Amino acid sequence: MHGKAVVVGVGETTYYKHGQSPDTEFQLACQAIERAAQDAGLPLSEIDGLISYMDHRNSPLRVAGALGMKELRWSSTPWAGGGNNSAACVMEADAAVTAGYANYVVAFRALAQGQFYRLGSGAGIAAGTASEGLSWGAPYGLMTPAQECALHTKRWMHDHGVSQEALASIALASYANAQRNPRAVRHGQPLTREAYHASRWIVEPFHLFDCCQENDGAAALVITTPERARDLKAKAVPIVAAAQGLGPDIGANAFQSKWFPGMYYENVGRMIWDRGGIKPRDVDVLQLYENFTGPVVMALCEMGYCKPEEVDAFVADGALEGPNARLPFNTSGGNLAEAYIHGLEMTIEAVRQARGDSTCQVKDVSYSLAVGGPGYAPGSAILFGAAL
Amino acid sequence: MPRLLGDDFLVPSLTPHNTPFFTAGSIQIQFCKDCGHAQHPPDDVCYACRSWNLEFRAMPGTGRVESAVVVHHAVHPALKTKVPYVVAVISVDGAAGCNVMGNVVGCPPEAVKIGDRVRAFFDEVKSPQGDSLLKIPNWERA
Repeated sequence: MHGKAVVVGVGETTYYKHGQSPDTEFQLACQAIERAAQDAGLPLSEIDGLISYMDHRNSPLRVAGALGMKELRWSSTPWAGGGNNSAACVMEADAAVTAGYANYVVAFRALAQGQFYRLGSGAGIAAGTASEGLSWGAPYGLMTPAQECALHTKRWMHDHGVSQEALASIALASYANAQRNPRAVRHGQPLTREAYHASRWIVEPFHLFDCCQENDGAAALVITTPERARDLKAKAVPIVAAAQGLGPDIGANAFQSKWFPGMYYENVGRMIWDRGGIKPRDVDVLQLYENFTGPVVMALCEMGYCKPEEVDAFVADGALEGPNARLPFNTSGGNLAEAYIHGLEMTIEAVRQARGDSTCQVKDVSYSLAVGGPGYAPGSAILFGAAL
Repeated sequence: MPRLLGDDFLVPSLTPHNTPFFTAGSIQIQFCKDCGHAQHPPDDVCYACRSWNLEFRAMPGTGRVESAVVVHHAVHPALKTKVPYVVAVISVDGAAGCNVMGNVVGCPPEAVKIGDRVRAFFDEVKSPQGDSLLKIPNWERA
């Protein structure tokens, strides 16, 4: 066992289409944390650590003040990227409470894209000048994660003979599972394979339904030690193992030939299986962050679920849909169909599966895995065990 | 020729790392003078031997399409009349392991294939402040 801490509470706000939240982003953040603390049975004043990711706008100083925390003893954020850290933020919380630097740490993520800019709008500008980091692609209209991930996916599908149907199967699984989840923004809007193929291209090979939604909302988890958890009302979900990082020769420069095409999950997979003492097939239920469907099938292969040449068959015939699937997958609807809270809602779903209270509950869950966003390093993953 | 996405479309903000690439009128790649390693984008340190002894060298200006995707969704109103267009990852002849990004112009977007040979050309455009002349590399099929 590498993980030592437990998750004792989860909470989220209503999830909205982007720009439709009547509340500010800070209000959403506070509400999600309140609900997670309530779920745990923990007074807000006892929270003493705050972690978010992706250049989060709601600073710990502001949150600590608004929530009436007695003392802020831990604040941190994993470096770089975005949703790639949706598991790493809970890993940091494990480190903080296990080391004894804080007692009750909250990992959270909030966004209100009406109040702020819309992530998928790229650099958001089309005239003027692009910063050095953006300058290599933006002058050519290469401005969004969809386009970047499409370049990786296109080459990978070409190299391994992977079909568009594999991508479709990911979208269909997330949408099918969202129909069981009343929280899901796409609840009541099922997707057919025909409608998938008929949807407009965003950037080939991604149709509209290959792309995550953009949403407003907030999500939060409370992490503490197993000893402290005994005094709380909620079930405690143990962190069995977590992993974050970069493999050898993998740098920040996404398109260079050593790591093109690639999703940066070979090393995360290797670490999580080693630390958890399990193999991919031992995972009872998997939440794998869909920024886009292509990165999902690539990450499945990099983490050892199957070879690229086998992935069409691996995901075919509803293999990922529902609680009795061959591999129960993105059981809340994921980023595609529940909500895109940059994957933290999927980490919550992994906890719910371990507690037994998912809307698409898998039977007898021993291992529930959440994997952060592929395609942006450092990647991360967190493995939960059955609730204590 | 006019830039594919419009002459007033986003241009690079020039820095020591990207000025050679966007102003020289040739494909400029950073090399380590100590170990010969080529790297892109440029950085302050050689990623192979950690030397600080780096220089830019002009490449022949040819390459190969490693990936190419057709963009249909305009992420900005200024691009609505420009879609569909192709963005590509291109491996640079003379600089092993180095890929650059660009468009491939002069053919229908769907005609660009992985493995196509391409040749660089340069769009001359003034910076928005008017203080420098940019020569932005772009690509056509060879």
